[in-house]
Amino acid sequence: MKLTRRQLAMALTSAAALAQTTSGPPATPEDELKAARDRVKANGAALDKQDVPMAVEPAFQFKA
Amino acid sequence: MADIANDVFFAAIPELNARLKSKEFSAQELARAFNSRLAQLGGRYNALALPLPQQALRQARDVDQDIKRERLRGPLQGIPYGVKDLLSLAGQPTTWGAKPYAGQVFNYNATVIDKLAGVGAVLAGKLSMVELAGGGGYRYASASLTGPGLNPWDRTRWSGGSSSGPAAAVAAGLVAFAIGSETSGSIVTPASYCGVTALRPTYGLVSRYGAMALSWTLDKLGPFARSAEDCGLILQAIAGGDSKDPGSAGKSFYYTPQYARPLKDLKIGYAPVDFSQWAEPTARPAFDAALGVLRQTGIRLVEAKLPPFPYGAVLSTILAAEQASIFESLIASGKVEELADAAQIAGLKASLEVPAKDYLKAMRVRRLIQEAFSRLFTEVDVLLAPGRPGPATAIDQPLDRGGPTAAAAPADPGFRTIIPAGNLAGLPALVLPCGFAGDLPLALQVVGVPFSENLLLAIGKEFQARTDWHKRRPPGV
Repeated sequence: MKLTRRQLAMALTSAAALAQTTSGPPATPEDELKAARDRVKANGAALDKQDVPMAVEPAFQFKA
Repeated sequence: MADIANDVFFAAIPELNARLKSKEFSAQELARAFNSRLAQLGGRYNALALPLPQQALRQARDVDQDIKRERLRGPLQGIPYGVKDLLSLAGQPTTWGAKPYAGQVFNYNATVIDKLAGVGAVLAGKLSMVELAGGGGYRYASASLTGPGLNPWDRTRWSGGSSSGPAAAVAAGLVAFAIGSETSGSIVTPASYCGVTALRPTYGLVSRYGAMALSWTLDKLGPFARSAEDCGLILQAIAGGDSKDPGSAGKSFYYTPQYARPLKDLKIGYAPVDFSQWAEPTARPAFDAALGVLRQTGIRLVEAKLPPFPYGAVLSTILAAEQASIFESLIASGKVEELADAAQIAGLKASLEVPAKDYLKAMRVRRLIQEAFSRLFTEVDVLLAPGRPGPATAIDQPLDRGGPTAAAAPADPGFRTIIPAGNLAGLPALVLPCGFAGDLPLALQVVGVPFSENLLLAIGKEFQARTDWHKRRPPGV
């Protein structure tokens, strides 16, 4: 079966999610903190991939 | 003294109000009955944080005097209710569900409590919650000062969080309605798991003054109740501008579903994959049937896609940065270690390390998200998704585990991220019980444009006129 790049990316993402769901919880508070820090970094990395035009200002005065 | 029949504990607000006005029972008799039930059964579900029997009887006595003098204050007059224990009530403990705050007492009331007192509602108790409304990210249902929230439909299952007590208490008939909060999922999830109707209002519609802050730009307060109509009546009482809440939109709300657009003119956007593949297999028949009911109303269901953004990363970053500032002293003092959940402790500590650039980037992406949803809502009127893809999880299941395996995961993400997406855009959501998987309830969520609550409630009212899922009661109550 031939996969598009999008399908492949999705499959890899799902595989990563599976890896998270099958490993046990961190064993020590230090491991737990490292895992939490890794999530902060992963979120930052995901944001880095977002292209935001300069004119888009932060939603400081957030109004729905 | 009138006997209070068991059906009264599950009656909708208009019925309770009518029976009070017809003097079938007094407000004091009703308050005593709910006080007794809350005290008797609250612990069974770990739903009760603080009973308030004396306060309830004082308020009920005033209501009886008002009704006697025909000073009628609307449909909530004399109706017993509860609040999530993140709302301050002057002179009483407000624990935020967390050991470090177990002795905390404020000297002022939350605005919603004052508003409900103004229309004669009777505060029967404060209800349990996940500690700090889940700030930092918890792994286990046991992350609460009152223990894990037990589901009235099956006590081996979780009631959902973080508004565990409000959802369980309404489901078990311990209060007629309750006020909970949502930052990202804390109304939608427990309402879905416990089979009660609930409303996450538009950001800024309900004042959060006197509520624990978790994220200034995400927090909302909303009702858990027996029906969409009840949610509308409660929202009418608690909505409105408040100079004490900087996020207040300054808008009022009047429950007028009769003026919403005809359902046959509406287009609902949904992702079939949510119901056919992402939904757990045991839940699919009920979801299929619920979609059929919606089609019978004349509403058109059309396929739609959520705008492609990394909603989880955006929401997590904003939430982490804001909670780090809010709970900085808790973390720095070391008292954070008193929390019950190890993942939550670590999450709060790590949140101090969110770079400013990431928070700002997330808030800029958030603006793009809001704009993208505005465009999406020119194509459809509301969005529809399962409240949760399946029924309540086992009480001891790690919450960061589970879900479909990689092999089983569909390629189309559907609306899997509608909870963070809807919260980032400040959108209202109505949760409607829609059937069962085995003996456990399921729900739909209907999401609309900001301040479209009347439209969502009109859809909910019609759905509930054609179904009775919202009237089902857990066994043994």
